[in-house]
Amino acid sequence: MNWTAILEFARGPFFYAALLIFVAGMIYRLVTVIGLGWSKDRVPAKGSKAGGVVMSFLKGILVWPFIPWVKNTFKRNPLIYIGGGLFHLGLFVVVFLGTAHMLVFKSLLGFGWGTLPLPIVDWLAAAGIVGMLILLINRIIHPVLRLISGPAEYLAWLFVFLPMITGYALTHHLGPRYEVMYSLHMISVNVLLIWIPLSRISHFIFYFFSRAIHGQEFGKRGVRV
Amino acid sequence: MPEETIAEGLKKSGVSRRDFLKLSGLLAAAMGLTNVPPVSASGLPPRLGRGYSVNRVIAKALETRPRLPVIWLEFQDCAGCSEAITRSNSPTLVNLVLNTLTIEYHETLSAAAGFQVEQAKQDAMQRYAGQYILVVEGSIPVADDGVYCTVGGRTALDLLQEAAAGAAAIIATGNCASFGGLPKAKPNPTDAKGVWELITDKPVVNIPGCPAIPEATTGTIAHFAIFGTLPELDGLHRPMPFYGVTVHDRCLRRPFYEAGKFALSFDDEGAKKGYCLYKLGCKGPTTYNACASIRWDTGLSFPVQSGHPCLGCSQPDFWDGGGFYQGQSAPLDRPELAAIGAAAAAGAALGVGATLVNQAKKKAKGGE
Repeated sequence: MNWTAILEFARGPFFYAALLIFVAGMIYRLVTVIGLGWSKDRVPAKGSKAGGVVMSFLKGILVWPFIPWVKNTFKRNPLIYIGGGLFHLGLFVVVFLGTAHMLVFKSLLGFGWGTLPLPIVDWLAAAGIVGMLILLINRIIHPVLRLISGPAEYLAWLFVFLPMITGYALTHHLGPRYEVMYSLHMISVNVLLIWIPLSRISHFIFYFFSRAIHGQEFGKRGVRV
Repeated sequence: MPEETIAEGLKKSGVSRRDFLKLSGLLAAAMGLTNVPPVSASGLPPRLGRGYSVNRVIAKALETRPRLPVIWLEFQDCAGCSEAITRSNSPTLVNLVLNTLTIEYHETLSAAAGFQVEQAKQDAMQRYAGQYILVVEGSIPVADDGVYCTVGGRTALDLLQEAAAGAAAIIATGNCASFGGLPKAKPNPTDAKGVWELITDKPVVNIPGCPAIPEATTGTIAHFAIFGTLPELDGLHRPMPFYGVTVHDRCLRRPFYEAGKFALSFDDEGAKKGYCLYKLGCKGPTTYNACASIRWDTGLSFPVQSGHPCLGCSQPDFWDGGGFYQGQSAPLDRPELAAIGAAAAAGAALGVGATLVNQAKKKAKGGE
């Protein structure tokens, strides 16, 4: 067994299986969450629910990230806000605007898009990694966070961190030979793909659900019974 | 013949002392020698070897070592590696191997033919038993008792085992002899194998490539002729001087990769400006070979320089490693819509099942 063969396995059958498990798992989660149902709305709305949803997304994505200091969550613990923000921004840019990753989507979806130059992606990836380390240290030393953190939280951190760090080492040719690092990167990505539907990382989809639910309640301007 | 030293043979063919020393220096450079192999082998720091100039050591070796007999076998191949060597026109290494070392048997290049040349091979194998270098070109089929490749009525496997038994070392040149190459591509009807899968009791060096870079083959032979040892090998038995770094590492388009400037098709503006070919499927980042540094045709060019992405021809199973024009990072298999649909349906069915169970439980609780 040589690393070229391991890489072939990680890029081939293993990735294939992980992707199918990911799809099946996410659909399962979606169906079960939708199957929970809504409570009946017995109060007449004074405002527009749809408008509330739109405002909620606009504020959450386009406004708050750029003026975080007006929010209490930022004032009370700026470190978490900045660390978490950097991590999410870095991850988004790396996954969708890095050339290598765009080519993955292109091969799966059949179409591609423009990407950012490597140095920009690279710095954001480094920022994301630093952000993750800050969040981990904070989780370990913060007494309350430590109390509510179980194995699932640390595993989620690890399974996201491994693809990030191996991918960074890969592009910089750090550590072992390229195909070794590439294999480790692909294996960790596959593990993450399988882990996402089983864990709270599925918030990458459910975030939009909760934003929509909260938004329509804000927009409704009525009490909830 | 081999009783004559390499230097004597060169002198006879009219090489002056000055040219001989130049050749020694060029050889050292071509083999990527920075210090004398015994120094590196001993584990001592390389600076200890600096007292000796490498080309002096090579000159000394050429003066004292006998000529090295070479037997060259061809199996499931296209003779492309031999073609590459005869046409490489590299005056030092290739000339040394073809004219100065003794190729005793080569199916394509030998002047003799038929029983005569087979007899010559038998004679050479007996006379130089335990001394000769065996070069193998082409993969060896083992399915159905090896009937898919026979020479003179004998199977490739039989011929390989016979010749390997008396060889000092075996050099597998080209991807076919190294890793099975094209004959091994799926579905591999002949069950083609590389030499190192079949011969385990002799040192086997792989010089993969399609074709193998002539200087890598001849350089390895020259290394053995001069030092009596094989160069340092990597995990896939490839000599480190030629396969130590990837094509991507030494690529002349690398700055464009770093800057994020890519050719998106073979005739767009980026392609004309010589941008990176990564998005067009270049396999340079995972391909270990000396293409980008030694290049081809006396250092004239190599595929990426002339505008085509690297196919990864020096890697095992490169023929089955995804599309040639598909990005390096892309997964090897793309799930069909049916597979994705089936996975989604399975997930949905599980979800509906779980929801129904939940609701039944809720009802049961509410009913109490």
